[in-house]
Amino acid sequence: MAAATMVSSAGGLLAMLNETHPALKLHALSNLNAFVDYFWPEISTSVPIIESLYEDEEFDQRPLAALLVSKVFYYLGELNDSLSYALGAGHLFDVSEDSDYVHTLLAKAIDEYASLNTKAAEAHNESATVDPRLEAIVERMLDKCIVDGKYQQAIGMAIECRRLDKLEEAITRSDNAHATISYCIDISHSFVNRREYRREVLQLLVKVYQQLPSPDYLSICQRLMFLDEPDGVASILEKLLRSENKEDALLAFQIAFDLVENEHQAFLLSVRNGLPSPKSQPSEPVHSGSPEPGSVQSGNTTTTEDVQMTNGSQVDGNAPSPDPREAIYAERITKIRGILSGENSIQLTLQFLYSHNKSDLLVLKTIKQSVEMRNSVCHSATIYTNAIMHAGTTVDTFLRENLDWLSRATNWAKFSATAGLGVIHRGHLKQGRSLMAPYLPQGGAGGGGSPYSEGGALYALGLIHANHGEGIKQFLRDSLRSTNVEVIQHGACLGLGLASLGTADNDVFDDIKNVLYTDSAVAGEAAGISMGLLMVGTASEKAGEMLAYAHETQHEKIIRGLALGIALTVYGREEEADTLIEQMTRDQDPILRYGGMYALALAYQGTGNNKAIRQLLHFAVSDVSDDVRRTAVLALGFVLYADPEQTPRIVSLLSESYNPHVRYGAALAVGISCAGTGLSEAISLLEPLTSDVVDFVRQGALIAMAMVMIQISEASDSRVGAFRRQLEKIILDKHEDTMSKMGAILASGILDAGGRNVTIKLLSKTKHDKITAVVGLAVFSQFWYWYPLIYFISLSFSPTAFIGLNYDLKVPSFEFLSHAKPSLFEYPKPTTVPTATSTAKLPTAVLSTSARAKARASKKELEKANAPKTSGAEPSPAVTSPGKGKSSDKDGDSMQVDIPAEKKAEPEPSFEILTNPARVVPAQEKYIKFLEESRYVPVKSAQSGFVLLKDLRPNEPEVLSLTDAPSSAASNPGGSATGQQSSAAAMAVDEEPAPPQPFEFTP
Amino acid sequence: MDPKFTEVSQIFQLFKAAFVRKDFDTCIKLLSQLKVMLTEFKSLPPLFEEMPNAIQERTLARDIYEHAVFLSVKIEDQDALERDFFQLKPYYTDTYGLQPSSQEHPILGLNLLRLLVQNRIAEFHTELELLPSSALENPCIKHAIELEQSFMEGAYNRVLSARQTVPHEIYVYFMDLLAKTVRDEIAGCSEKAYDSLSINDARQMLLFSSDLDLVKYIEEEHPEWEIRKGFVFFQRAKESAPCKEIPSLQLINQTLSYARELERIV
Repeated sequence: MAAATMVSSAGGLLAMLNETHPALKLHALSNLNAFVDYFWPEISTSVPIIESLYEDEEFDQRPLAALLVSKVFYYLGELNDSLSYALGAGHLFDVSEDSDYVHTLLAKAIDEYASLNTKAAEAHNESATVDPRLEAIVERMLDKCIVDGKYQQAIGMAIECRRLDKLEEAITRSDNAHATISYCIDISHSFVNRREYRREVLQLLVKVYQQLPSPDYLSICQRLMFLDEPDGVASILEKLLRSENKEDALLAFQIAFDLVENEHQAFLLSVRNGLPSPKSQPSEPVHSGSPEPGSVQSGNTTTTEDVQMTNGSQVDGNAPSPDPREAIYAERITKIRGILSGENSIQLTLQFLYSHNKSDLLVLKTIKQSVEMRNSVCHSATIYTNAIMHAGTTVDTFLRENLDWLSRATNWAKFSATAGLGVIHRGHLKQGRSLMAPYLPQGGAGGGGSPYSEGGALYALGLIHANHGEGIKQFLRDSLRSTNVEVIQHGACLGLGLASLGTADNDVFDDIKNVLYTDSAVAGEAAGISMGLLMVGTASEKAGEMLAYAHETQHEKIIRGLALGIALTVYGREEEADTLIEQMTRDQDPILRYGGMYALALAYQGTGNNKAIRQLLHFAVSDVSDDVRRTAVLALGFVLYADPEQTPRIVSLLSESYNPHVRYGAALAVGISCAGTGLSEAISLLEPLTSDVVDFVRQGALIAMAMVMIQISEASDSRVGAFRRQLEKIILDKHEDTMSKMGAILASGILDAGGRNVTIKLLSKTKHDKITAVVGLAVFSQFWYWYPLIYFISLSFSPTAFIGLNYDLKVPSFEFLSHAKPSLFEYPKPTTVPTATSTAKLPTAVLSTSARAKARASKKELEKANAPKTSGAEPSPAVTSPGKGKSSDKDGDSMQVDIPAEKKAEPEPSFEILTNPARVVPAQEKYIKFLEESRYVPVKSAQSGFVLLKDLRPNEPEVLSLTDAPSSAASNPGGSATGQQSSAAAMAVDEEPAPPQPFEFTP
Repeated sequence: MDPKFTEVSQIFQLFKAAFVRKDFDTCIKLLSQLKVMLTEFKSLPPLFEEMPNAIQERTLARDIYEHAVFLSVKIEDQDALERDFFQLKPYYTDTYGLQPSSQEHPILGLNLLRLLVQNRIAEFHTELELLPSSALENPCIKHAIELEQSFMEGAYNRVLSARQTVPHEIYVYFMDLLAKTVRDEIAGCSEKAYDSLSINDARQMLLFSSDLDLVKYIEEEHPEWEIRKGFVFFQRAKESAPCKEIPSLQLINQTLSYARELERIV
């Protein structure tokens, strides 16, 4: 039928267009319009006639002609012409029509409109150039979407087109505002490239959020943080804290923890200062057990000052009638200040890492034995590895046991050996200084120490206090000023930079600048980096000053330090940094171009910005200097880390480059952006590189591979096991090149970093970049030139823990479920004693302890039968022996060997009960469930990190886990726990794990 | 009977009367009126709605357009001819159930002839392909085909002599036009082939009966030709044949950029 009713050609109608009578033309047009879908090829030859009809002022059906022409152009693929005629068609162009033509043209119209608007916004002249007809079409479309309930489309379009008014309308009219807003946030982070505009969008979102009847404070605060508006956060926190409801306070704490996770020191500081103090101080400030006593001890943090100040006002004798509400508020505000200062999280992390430490000393032993004594590179690599493996765990057993071996480190090796202590004790804020005391420069009096260990100790202090350096800053400054030994200056500069990361403190800057101007290569390099650390992300004009000096000085080291420093200052500034980047990348000096690559990497970190990627790829293939090319490729890793799946694809060609530097860069780029993901493509890309012909490529690939595979268990990817064996083989192989051997040693350290309880994470859970982590990795990647910078990788470690906290910020013991096979996420099995290569003394050690261990294990079995592998039970032997001696340590070691072996006999359960606090690796998060009958309920749904718990049965006594060992030590000094310690350790009693005994490794 | 149909029929009667009277002005006026009225019939192409008296309406419409075609030949308006022919065509190709018209083949032949005259050979062949093989036997169409063949072979004398054997009296107009087309062809060829020709040869070549006609033709169509000393010179038309310059700079740039790209390949 349809065939019968069709003409075979539009020729007749087209001919009719040439008729003189308008009625005939009209007839032809309307019929052609109906049949254009079939006859457009014929009509296309007559387009000029129709166009002339459209242009004919007297013809009264011009829109119809325009519509027809538009359709023909659409079929011809000339979308631009099609759109301009569609605009001429006015109301005849029906946006709601469901045809390919309308869909395509609408998309085109929106694109056009968006690009016009963007251009107008970027040129900063208020639009006016936009065709009102175009705008009308887009608005019609937006309205239609909103009316039809397609809010996501409407939001997407509104954001693209920069129509914030429509965006607001879409959000407020949507039925589920929260979901819509979170969708909106997602796209604004992933698709809005211009920083300025993203800010505008977020500002709008915050505004909308606040108008909602039940605002989601967690999200609001995250947005405010992005917008850098501490006052807003502070006022929200205050509101929540003043609330009658305990839950609100919990929420406030949760917000505080989440903010701390983003590591924005300057911001946290201003929030803390923005929180109003309670009007009157309650008579009893806070009951013991709150973090308060800890913070008082910690020295001159702001928290303490604040408490002292308010205490002072109490002494004034106004005899304040304690208003109960103010009292509660005061108590809460003390807590929240504690949290915001980062102390709570650092302390809890430290305790977690200490108690859950699963590092495998046997690995280290194997390394130590296989490394040649005289090979200083491998020797210090072993020291680095030890530090990384135990980062943040405070376990320095290995160093203690091998003092003799350690003493072979001389000069800079000694520097890094000392600095390694800082990594091991990272976050040990309270004891940090006393720990390092034996090595620190003794103000003139006992200045017998080597400058190398003194410098290293200052660097170590910086590492301990990284990004939380309020307490130590002054000391570091004094040390810096009072010395003119360049090694000590070097250490002090790095330490100072780390401790005052991102604070942009001008006094500190001046101090460091003075060092820089002494023009000593060693100190100057550190000063350059340190200035960058200090000014991270400020984009201050200091960068110009640094650049000028970089041109002036003769020392390559200083230029390199400065180049990196300048790059750090533009961290996260995106387009704002473009002029500086341009300046650097066009410089004559390859070292400055190299800095330019870092600047690109850091300014566009995590944005996946196409322009930056294009520029980096350009430099990666066209620069004359290998250093610049290497760095350009490496920098891709930073730009792409928010979207790790992309990186292997982008660098895959580069990884096959003929240039080993480019291959090395490709390896590290993958390592950086895919760190901790265990991404299969990344591993496949790195695998061939680990057996590259060039030694340093192997080194980079091994390190990168370790970064990718960190915390991935063999059960989830069998290649992990193969990689471990490969590492061992390389380390044991006598004929392997030093470079790749060093890579293998470091890789085994990174693979088991932080007692196997940390991962490398550059994004926080709320998708905010972790500034410390990114900066840490950026400086780490500089180890090519300067090995001590390897320690910066410890900044990027973040513990993979679920730590539930109650209202008192204590860790109650409660259980939750990991709905997956335990073997998927368990710790890697400890290495067994090597049979062939083992020396005589190792087997005896095993023999002597295994019997005891078995006895112990069988004793434990009863307890463990109910909850297999509850992590709460396991740390107990470890807790009883902090600062353990040789024998007890081996004891613990062999226990770890035995217990998993026993469990193997049972069939593997499909789930696992975890006890707070527990190790939850990133891949495991999606399996975490909370038990229904559980006493505690989290305030927000989170599967890892710090989570505030709501107590549903507040009347029952709480059982606290983990923390009670150290805190009971505090409340009950000399108690049973400390009693077992050796006499040396007993002197330093504290709520922390006991500080290690001082030891000297220099004869 | 539909009043509209009756009205159209009446006007068409008037038109036919005027056509026989050769009162072409009235014809044109009436025709335009008719065409507008035809647009209101839904049964006509391109809508083809099935109505009880669709066949009658379509037959009438076809009749009108056929007359329109003849009218445009009479008034010697080629554009109008083309227009009307295309409007008529659907009635021949698409309308089933309509009695074939007696005028169909003459009009198709006429169209072919028109294309030949306008030297639109490609379209000529397209139209030819669309015709069924039976139609090719029809004298009207056969005539057009033969003309085209002679035309292509260069047997121009045969083309001109064909004027005497037209199958339909309406074709005469086009045969005259064809002579001119042939002449243009010859002129174009001689221009390329010769530097100059004697006036006598030129006259024979261009099939003119007198030198005067030749001179007139040259003045009208080819003012760039020159008549000197009893010869026609074509040279001036040949001047424009610039030798193409090699775009060396562009080539050099391209090669260099290839070299650079090659170096960059990683």
